[in-house]
Amino acid sequence: MNSIVAIELGTNAVRIFAFDLMGNIIGFAKGHYPTFHEGPDNSEQDPEQVFITMLYVLKNLLNDTLYPQKCVVGCICFSGSMHSLLTVDKDGVPLGNVITWADNRGKETAVELKESELGRTIYEATGTPIHPMSSMVKIAWLRNNDPDRFKKTSKYLPVKSYILQQLTGSCIIDYSIASATGLMNIHSLTWDDTALEFAGISAGKLPQLVPVFYSEAKLKKEYQKALRLQPDVKIIIGSSDGCLATLGAGVWEEGKATITIEDSGAFRVIGDKIIKDHNKQIFNYLLTKEHIVSGGPTNSGGVIFEWFTKRFGDFKKAFDIDHSMGNLIREAAEVTVGSDGLLFLPYLLGERAPIWNANAKGCYFGINIRHERKHFIRATIEGILYEMYSIGKTLENHRAIDSLSVNGSFASIPFCTQIIADIFNKPVSTVSHGDTIGAGAFLLSATEMGMYKNLREASNTIKMHQIFLPNANDHAIYRQYFTVFESLIEKIGGEFDAISNLQNLK
Amino acid sequence: MNQLLLQQETSKELADFPHIKEFAYKKNTTIQLNSFNVGLMDGIGIYYVLEGKHNWVIGSTEHTLYPGDIAVILPGENFGGKNNILNIGSLMWVRLDVHSRKQLIGDWSQLTKKERHSLEQILSVNKDLLVLNIKEAQPLFFELKHELQHAEVGFSTRVAQLLDHLFIIICRQLIRQNHSRRDFPTTFLRLEQTLRQNLARQWTVEEMAAFAGMGTTAFTEKVKNYSGFSPLNYLINLRITEAIKLLKRGEVNVTDIALAIGFYSSQHFSTTFKKLTGYTPSEFRKNNLTFNQQQ
Repeated sequence: MNSIVAIELGTNAVRIFAFDLMGNIIGFAKGHYPTFHEGPDNSEQDPEQVFITMLYVLKNLLNDTLYPQKCVVGCICFSGSMHSLLTVDKDGVPLGNVITWADNRGKETAVELKESELGRTIYEATGTPIHPMSSMVKIAWLRNNDPDRFKKTSKYLPVKSYILQQLTGSCIIDYSIASATGLMNIHSLTWDDTALEFAGISAGKLPQLVPVFYSEAKLKKEYQKALRLQPDVKIIIGSSDGCLATLGAGVWEEGKATITIEDSGAFRVIGDKIIKDHNKQIFNYLLTKEHIVSGGPTNSGGVIFEWFTKRFGDFKKAFDIDHSMGNLIREAAEVTVGSDGLLFLPYLLGERAPIWNANAKGCYFGINIRHERKHFIRATIEGILYEMYSIGKTLENHRAIDSLSVNGSFASIPFCTQIIADIFNKPVSTVSHGDTIGAGAFLLSATEMGMYKNLREASNTIKMHQIFLPNANDHAIYRQYFTVFESLIEKIGGEFDAISNLQNLK
Repeated sequence: MNQLLLQQETSKELADFPHIKEFAYKKNTTIQLNSFNVGLMDGIGIYYVLEGKHNWVIGSTEHTLYPGDIAVILPGENFGGKNNILNIGSLMWVRLDVHSRKQLIGDWSQLTKKERHSLEQILSVNKDLLVLNIKEAQPLFFELKHELQHAEVGFSTRVAQLLDHLFIIICRQLIRQNHSRRDFPTTFLRLEQTLRQNLARQWTVEEMAAFAGMGTTAFTEKVKNYSGFSPLNYLINLRITEAIKLLKRGEVNVTDIALAIGFYSSQHFSTTFKKLTGYTPSEFRKNNLTFNQQQ
C-alpha cells in the first residue's frame, strides 16, 4: 500500500500523520519539544531538538505503524509554523536558538515602523502586518541589539527550512512561509528590496524561494537508509500551518471562512485576490501564486481558557487539565447567554488582530454581587469568542461570509461551537477529520501527485461532520454585549499602556 | 525557654543516637562578628527558623529565611551566615551523620529501603531548592527536643520516628512547592532543564520521577502522554540533540562528546547515533562541515 506522510513542525510539537491514498489516516505520532522563555518577551526553541524529535517520531511511526502494515511511503510533505527565525553561520551551524512567532523583543521596532509611511509600503508589498512576530522585524532587532550575531549570520531561515536543509542539503523556503516573513513581495514573488533594506540584509542571506509543490530536493542517502525509505521517496516542501489548515478546512467556496482555535487562534478566508486593508490589520499569505489566505491571528485562543482552568479549576479529584476543563464547561452551561452581564477582555498575552497591541491586558467588566464562578467561566469563553468575532467583522468589511468551519480544540466542544454560531449568527460546521493541517498537507501532496486537478478540487472533498445553526434571539443578546466589548477596547487603550508600564516596573 | 546544645561524644542525651551529631535550640540576642562562619557541612543539617530574619549562604547561593522556613544542607555544601554572622533571632537544628553523599538517611530510619531511596533522590535532585517554608516542622523539633532531654520509655523509637517524619514532610513540601499537579508542562520543562544541565549523569526513571514528585508508573504514563516519548527515550533525544551541537562545533573529539552527554562509550554513542540518523558521529561532522561546498 502506498502512503503519504505529512510532517507538521508546530510551535510545541511535531505531529506526523500517515494517510492512505484515499485520505484516511492510517498512522499518527507526535513528539513534544519545549519553548524557552529567558525573558518576558523571549520565546525560543532548540533547533536541533526540533530536528531530532522529528527524526525520532518519524522513525517510530514508520517502524511501529507503517512498515508492519506493509506501507510504502510515496511522499513526505512538510508543514511549518509561521514567523520562526533561525540564524546560521557559514557552515550552516545555528547561532543560537530558533526565535518563535511568540517572541516580542522587536515590539518597539515594530511600533516605530507601523506608524510610518515605510511601514504601509512594506505591509502592502508583503501582506504581513507590521508586528514583532514578523521575521523582518526580528532581523532588524538583531541588527540593532545583537550585532555580533547579526555579523556572523550567513543565512536567516525559518525552522522548516533548517530541517529540510539537514535532511536534503537544499536551502529552500516555500512561497507560503516566505510570505509570512514580511520580507517577500507577494506581487512579484521575490524578496522585497524595501523590506530587505529595513532589515539590513541582502537577498543572498535568505533561502531560495520555491512553490509549495516543489519536490526536487532529495533525501540524503543516510537518512533514507536509517528510515528505510525508498530512494525515490518524494519530498514536497509544503506550506505553512495556517495555509494548510485553511486548505484542510474545506472553505474554498466564496462566502466561507474558517476559525482555528488551538493555543492561539485565527480567522481565515481563501481567495484569489489580496485584501487591501488600509488599517494594515489583515494578513495576506500566499498558498500558491493564485490563492491567498487572508485573515487575522489572535493570541487569545485556547491558552486563555487553559489559564483559567489552571488557576480556578478543581484539581482535588481530577488529575488532568482536560478533565478539569470539561467540568468547567459543564458549569458554564448553567449560565445564560451573556453571562448575566459579565464581560471578559481576553488579552492576557497582548493581542495581535484586530487591535495589534502588545500591551493589551485582560479584564473582567460588569461584575456584580450575584456573579459566581460559573459566570466567570462562561464570560471567559465568550470573551475569547467575541475577540474572534471582532476579527471576523474586520474581514467582513472586505468579503461577505455566509458560513464558518471551525477546527482546533474548541471545535470538539459543542458548547463552544454553538456560541460561535450564535455570536456570528451564521451556520458553523466542524470537519470530519481531526487535524486540518495534516489534511491540508495530504491534499497538497495528492494534488502534486496528480490525484486532484487542483487544490480547489482537493479541498472540496473535505466532508463536514456536524452543523450548528445560530439562534437569532441569542445572537441579538450577544450583539448588545459585543457593542460594550468593542466600546471598552476603544476607551481603555491608554490604560493598557499605563498598566503595562506598571507591570514592567516590577 | 532554656537554650540547648547537644553534641555527640559530649552530651549523654545523644549516647543512644550515634547518628545525631548535634541537636540545638539557640536564641541569639546580639550580633557578633565571626559567630557563624561559612564552612563545609559535615553530614546533613536541618535548620528551622523560629524568630528573626536570617541571611545565610547555602552552597553558592545566598538565601533569606524567615520564621517557619527550613533549610536542608547536604553533605559537602557550603553553609554559614552572610558575612559570617548569625542574625538576631532563634533557631533549632539537627545535624545527622551520613553513610555517604548518596545515602543520606542512615540505618537508624524506620522507613523501608525503597522509601529511603526515594526520599534521598528527591533531596539530591532538588539540592538547589532546599529552602522551604514548613510551619508544621516546629512541633516536630520541639518534640524531638523533649524526647532527647527526657528519655521516657520508647524514646529511642520516637526519635527515629520524628526524624523520619521530618524527612517525609520536607520531601512532600518540596514536591508540592516545585511541581503543581495541574501544570505538568511546567514541571516537565524544569525536568528538561535539569536533565540538560546534567546529561553526563546516569539518570534512572526513578530519579526523574522523584524529581517530578511522582511514582515511576504514573510519571512514565504522563511523560508519554505529554511528550510522545518514554522518559528514557526523551533523555536519549536530549543527548543526541546535544551531540549534534557539539559535533557541529567541531572542537571536541567524539569520545569526549560521548562521555560528556552520558553514553558509556564512544561505541555506544556511535551505534545510537547511527541508528537514528544513518550517520556515524564522525560522518555527521564531516558532512556538516562541508555544508558550504554542498550549496
